[in-house]
Amino acid sequence: MTQTNTKSSLPVKGQSTAVTAAGLAAAGSDENQYLTFKLQSETYAFGILNVKEILEYGKITKVPMMPDFIQGVINLRGEVVPVVNLARRFGLKASEITKRTCVVIIEIGAEEARHELGVMVDSVSEVLEIEDDQIRPAPGFGARIRNDFIRGMGKLNDDFVIILDQDKVLSVDELAAVQQVRDMAPAHLPEEDDDDDSGEAEPGKG
Amino acid sequence: MSMEAALQTYFTEAREMLEDMEAQLLEIEHQDADALPETLNAIFRAAHTVKGSASLFGLDGIVDFTHVVENLLDRMRDGDVGVSPELVSLLLRCQDHIATLVDETEADGEVSEDSRILSRALIVELGAYLDEGAGSASDTSGLPAAGKEVEQAHDYPEDENDDTVDNDCWHISLRFGRNSFRDGMDPISFLRFLENIGTVRHILILDDWLPDLADYDPEDCYLGFEIRFMSSATKKEIEDVFEFIREDSDIHILAPYSRLSDYIDLIESMSEESDRRIGEILIECGALTEAELAKALALQAAAEEADQSRRLGEIVAQDDDRLTPVVDAAAQKQTQMRDAINRKQKSLRVDADKLDHLINLVGELVTAGAGTFLQAQILGNAELIESMSKLNDLLEEMRDASLKLRMVAIGATFSKFQRVVRDMAADLDKEVDLAITGADTELDKSVVEKIGDPLMHLVRNAVDHGLESSAEREAAGKPLTGTISLNAYHDSGNIVIEVGDDGRGLDPDKILAKAREKGLVGEDQQLSRAEIFDLILRPGFSTAEQVSNISGRGVGMDVVRRNVIEMRGRTEIDSAPGEGTTIRIILPLTLAIIDGFVVGVGKAAFVVPLDVVQECVEFSEVDQTERDGQTYINLRGNVLPLVNIRHRFGVQGERPKRRSVVVVKAEGQSVGLVVDRLMGEFQTVIKPLGPVFTGLSGISGSTIMGSGEVALILDVQGLVQQITRGERTAANH
Repeated sequence: MTQTNTKSSLPVKGQSTAVTAAGLAAAGSDENQYLTFKLQSETYAFGILNVKEILEYGKITKVPMMPDFIQGVINLRGEVVPVVNLARRFGLKASEITKRTCVVIIEIGAEEARHELGVMVDSVSEVLEIEDDQIRPAPGFGARIRNDFIRGMGKLNDDFVIILDQDKVLSVDELAAVQQVRDMAPAHLPEEDDDDDSGEAEPGKG
Repeated sequence: MSMEAALQTYFTEAREMLEDMEAQLLEIEHQDADALPETLNAIFRAAHTVKGSASLFGLDGIVDFTHVVENLLDRMRDGDVGVSPELVSLLLRCQDHIATLVDETEADGEVSEDSRILSRALIVELGAYLDEGAGSASDTSGLPAAGKEVEQAHDYPEDENDDTVDNDCWHISLRFGRNSFRDGMDPISFLRFLENIGTVRHILILDDWLPDLADYDPEDCYLGFEIRFMSSATKKEIEDVFEFIREDSDIHILAPYSRLSDYIDLIESMSEESDRRIGEILIECGALTEAELAKALALQAAAEEADQSRRLGEIVAQDDDRLTPVVDAAAQKQTQMRDAINRKQKSLRVDADKLDHLINLVGELVTAGAGTFLQAQILGNAELIESMSKLNDLLEEMRDASLKLRMVAIGATFSKFQRVVRDMAADLDKEVDLAITGADTELDKSVVEKIGDPLMHLVRNAVDHGLESSAEREAAGKPLTGTISLNAYHDSGNIVIEVGDDGRGLDPDKILAKAREKGLVGEDQQLSRAEIFDLILRPGFSTAEQVSNISGRGVGMDVVRRNVIEMRGRTEIDSAPGEGTTIRIILPLTLAIIDGFVVGVGKAAFVVPLDVVQECVEFSEVDQTERDGQTYINLRGNVLPLVNIRHRFGVQGERPKRRSVVVVKAEGQSVGLVVDRLMGEFQTVIKPLGPVFTGLSGISGSTIMGSGEVALILDVQGLVQQITRGERTAANH
């Protein structure tokens, strides 16, 4: 993919969030650095090495017959990239789309099968450095989300950040597998989708 | 160009040459006598080029073997050795072997021991034909001993009245001066330079002048070389190579097809060596045949008796650069040949990645152009719209042109099967012809690469199971020779590739019985004819009673099906008992860009490939009838099944009063798509949806609209298939 940031039809978000792509680069690409973000008042983090860029939530095209945590696809400078609604992936209620809603573009997979996925979050916070000895293993219980999604709990003064395992959260096998199950009975899907679509294809005009 | 890159180019070209050679060899058998010389020439040229270039890189393993093949081909060209099926088989095996040698050299830098042994074995077989052609005219004990240098003299039966030597190479005799090294003249650098203007066919190093160790001075040059040199350069150009050493060294250059007397003079001028010795050297490096030498020595003896003084004059004359008409003709012939090869190769080899990058860029350009045109229309500036539409026309042309870059004719893939069919026919003792049509049909390179394996399975299966044995064919009153046909053509945005045979055909009852026995089909399940035929592509299904070593293990045919589905294609089987079977592979062109027709449903936009769109009509709910959950309308007396895109894809939003039906045709079946709005044509850059959406049905990809939004491309074939399947299940109830 060509890296021509200037031509972007979806500009890199710079105003309403503290972090820009340039900011990420300036902060270095240390393995101990994490991008933290908010999702329904909880703070989560992805390792920064795989974060490619952060976009304002904009035009998104819904793909029919996909599980509800696939928000749709976006145009990322000529590439079509799927966007995962993280709240729904966690089994939570979808967040309302606000001016601060962002799509974090994350690169997953190894050499051959490398591809990009967008992750929809309520707001991006900052880049933090968390040393390895400040990271605890995931708690056996009590977390709001699936245990295997959590890579560890980062200690931050007297607060905790949930560091996510991106390969599990964004596992293509799982995203596609769920969809295949639903694919078996496509005729009944429209009715199902009607009820709980608070975040449905109405882009926030932010 | 670095050596490494040049070598890479050689391997690629050698393979192409060998493919060419194979194709021509296969043609020989069916050719009439008129066309034969040209074909033999082409085969010879291919072998010659492979060998010549290999010697440039010092790939001896390839050179040595190919040279013998080339010799035989040369003899066939001259009509000394007749064409026979056995000989063609041998040459095909040799061609295979050269390909192996090339592969091994590329992989390991050298030829494996096994291949060397095979080389020797094949050379012995080739030798039998060489002997035959040589007849009694000359002694062919020159056949190389195993493992030894294989270079061999052209031992043609000689025409007694012809005084020229049958040798298309220059002959260069070099005796470096004693002080060459001291003067800074390294012999090897001259030899290297020589390669710039031609090909060194053979070098013989003469070390006769090496003294005993006690007398040896490491700064002295004791070397002499006899060189067979293939080049279209003039004598002057070759002489210029040795300009710096001309004074101190002994240099003799003989033109191709020189007169025998010139060789005599050469022999005589080498004052230090005995006549016999230099004669042997000339034979050893292939400049003269033994017969020619014998004749030369006889002539020399006669001349000596006649006129002792003649020798001197001849030697002087030989050193000037007067070219005899014979030499002129020879040089001209070589130049012509080179021009012909140059003309043929007026194509450019481009890295596929570079091409893909270009096509991606053009794709984005087209998208950006559409976006700009949209803006221009919103602005309403007439001049801007005018110039934008001009720009868009150009973009469209550019799109077409860049896409054509990736299109290749399927002919090359098809002709590979000539060999497969021929070999299998021989193995199975059947007589089989391969008929190829539509070889010019172009399709995307990526498709060509992937279609090879499935086609291979189908062709093998057709020869093995499709065609009956000769005896059976005779009993059935069919021509003894069976025909396998390969055909390709474009059909409404798809490419269709057919593999047909005129064999026994498929027996639906037998297939069904077998499928029931294997549990693939339930006892009370009713299947249509097409569905029954389709079973033969299922995993673990094989109707052949005998498992032959070629096919029939029940693997393979399901690979075909899987590969085709992976390419978003499908298969169709036609068969009539006793008349034959045709298997059709229908593939999308999988081009990066297509013309799309945009339709709106709710807030969403979908793209329908324009080439499947038949017409658009207004939709009225009153007209539609429903049966078994499937709705239909009457379109000018025909029943048109409908797919309501809104329902099919669960699109939200208000349902407008006026709606439209887009009539599409796929798989020979028309279907109406009910949509809210028609939004017009749009150049569509296909973007794959990625692994997350692999199982998604009804959508074949996505595209980016002028506005920057993503729209989904409808998989019309898939939608139509669902309907036809639905009808069938309904009918079975």
